[in-house]
Amino acid sequence: MKRTVIPMGPQHPVLPEPLVLDLILEDERVIDAIPTIGYVHRGLEMMVERVEYTEMGFVVERICGICSFMHGMGYCVSLESIMNVEVPERARWLRLIWAEISRIQSHLLWLGLGADAFGFENLFMHCWRMREEILDIFEKTTGGRIIHSVNRIGGVKRDISDSELAAILVKLQDLGTAFRETARIFGNDPSIAHRLGGVGVLSADDARAVDAVGPMARASGIATDTRLNGAHFYDHVEFEPLVETAGDCLARVVVRMREIDQSIDLVRQAIEKMPKGEGQALETKVRGVPDGEVFTRLEQPRGEVLYYVKANGTKNLERFRARTPTFANIPAMIKLVKGCDLADVPNIILTIDPCISCTER
Amino acid sequence: MEIPTFLARVEDYHKAGWRLALINATTLLPGEGMEQGAFDIVWAFARGAEFEYIRERVMPGDEVPSVSKSFGAAFLYENEIRELFGINVTGLGLDLGGQLYKTATRIPFSPSAVRARLEALGRAEPAVKHDPAAKNA
Amino acid sequence: MANPFRMPMVPRALRNLVSRPATRRYPSEIRPRFDGARGTIEFDVDTCVFCMLCARRCPAAAITVSREDRYFAIEQLTCIACGVCVEVCNKDSLSMSVNSRPVHTHAEVGPDGRRPGHEEWTKPLPVAPVVTPVATPTVGTPPAQGAQAG
Repeated sequence: MKRTVIPMGPQHPVLPEPLVLDLILEDERVIDAIPTIGYVHRGLEMMVERVEYTEMGFVVERICGICSFMHGMGYCVSLESIMNVEVPERARWLRLIWAEISRIQSHLLWLGLGADAFGFENLFMHCWRMREEILDIFEKTTGGRIIHSVNRIGGVKRDISDSELAAILVKLQDLGTAFRETARIFGNDPSIAHRLGGVGVLSADDARAVDAVGPMARASGIATDTRLNGAHFYDHVEFEPLVETAGDCLARVVVRMREIDQSIDLVRQAIEKMPKGEGQALETKVRGVPDGEVFTRLEQPRGEVLYYVKANGTKNLERFRARTPTFANIPAMIKLVKGCDLADVPNIILTIDPCISCTER
Repeated sequence: MEIPTFLARVEDYHKAGWRLALINATTLLPGEGMEQGAFDIVWAFARGAEFEYIRERVMPGDEVPSVSKSFGAAFLYENEIRELFGINVTGLGLDLGGQLYKTATRIPFSPSAVRARLEALGRAEPAVKHDPAAKNA
Repeated sequence: MANPFRMPMVPRALRNLVSRPATRRYPSEIRPRFDGARGTIEFDVDTCVFCMLCARRCPAAAITVSREDRYFAIEQLTCIACGVCVEVCNKDSLSMSVNSRPVHTHAEVGPDGRRPGHEEWTKPLPVAPVVTPVATPTVGTPPAQGAQAG
């Protein structure tokens, strides 16, 4: 049978970030896919040579726009661990709240892109309109819609007053109610079921074999969630990892939709449990230079992110490595693309929630 | 590094259900005992809340075997360390032929390239002071 | 297989049809920024003492300060609006406005190497007041010329 090679990318309407997949087709079935990335490699890890450790946080949070808050938080947490800095309690709660709100915004973004991947632009716009509420919350509390710059080594720079927190919770709960309509659309629309149901099935064994993380693994039945490790105050809140067993694209949509509700609930729990009152310490002053190394794991919206930081007693770090969840999920994507129909390729690429900027740094 | 023992350890991790979380290389500047510099390579494994890693110090040019037979997803990490650090990784699962990233300098993190950049910035003492056991956060 | 006659998006689409648009008619309608939004860095040269803390702490190296020349310059297009300079300034000379104003009037590097978005201030040293000597009456008269000494 004759084979055709169709290069997909780096610019493509469904791709949020540049990625090339050379698809080798027989008829309309993909036999093989050769990935090429590197179009947004900015060498951010090399910046540690030029930028001091106090300033590197700003570089790290600019690795990616969608996952920005957790990158900044992960960097600061790593340095705090190396330098044995005790972060004030309110700062840790605020970080958890901002991280969960960041997860809501990322999943809403992805739901829109996922719908756009098979042409449902109306739903894409609808999801992004809801996302604007979250971005407004970020602008009110941190000053920036996408890049927040509130994390510092030792704490956070801005506070959210208790009344503002109550107002944010009301907004999020209204969003949760409005989101139920969107969830109903995703769940009941026959075109979505047709385009996503049974596509890109990743069995639990395959998910383990390709070391999938995050919603990719959870939708295949593996109950893994880095937040269960209990670090970063996640042991103060109660939640269960949301698991689906079907392992297809629709299951991943369902997992991410349920995570939005879960994040709203986590924010509610955090606001209830955090110490109330004005004038609490937000930041511990940090002096000196870091010396040591640490591995930090966080649960970003896309899965487990792993930071490796090595400091050598000077103002510049020796090594900073961010292994983002998309980096870990790309082998899963390549495995799923082989054997699928050409029309399903955009759905499968988007189903891992690709954040190529994070992958390439 | 002892290749067969290393590969056996990696396979043990795979059989016990661990997930490959990271393969990272750190460039060590030329210093005493390592005139050409060296690399510290870490293979990190995770299983739920547990986290362990294997660390090996490797001289430039030393053969580093791929762990793709145990962990198929390793090809991305190994292509990256080969391309950015110049580490001699053999037996790659999927060889992307040096086309993974498109960098202006060919091997940006080789010890000589790092040393040249640090000298240009005025900071070129060998950076390795000690080897603490990494903490888990 | 889902019921092919279900169209759950239709009520939403009809509601969108009859309600006002979600988008704003920018630039005739501009959303005011929230308090605390990040905008352009504003500098008050009168209070600055040229301690150079802001230049040292700027992560993007956007600020240049010279103590001897009493000169402050900021590259507004390099600034990442992190706010660290505002935090460290002891004299409150730097502030972050809520809005972003247009900071470059030309797109190219000027003939003297000035980049677009470059803003600078020089604070001259305060000039010492000039004291006009007032004529004072002399005490005693000088000896006559040619008088014999001794």
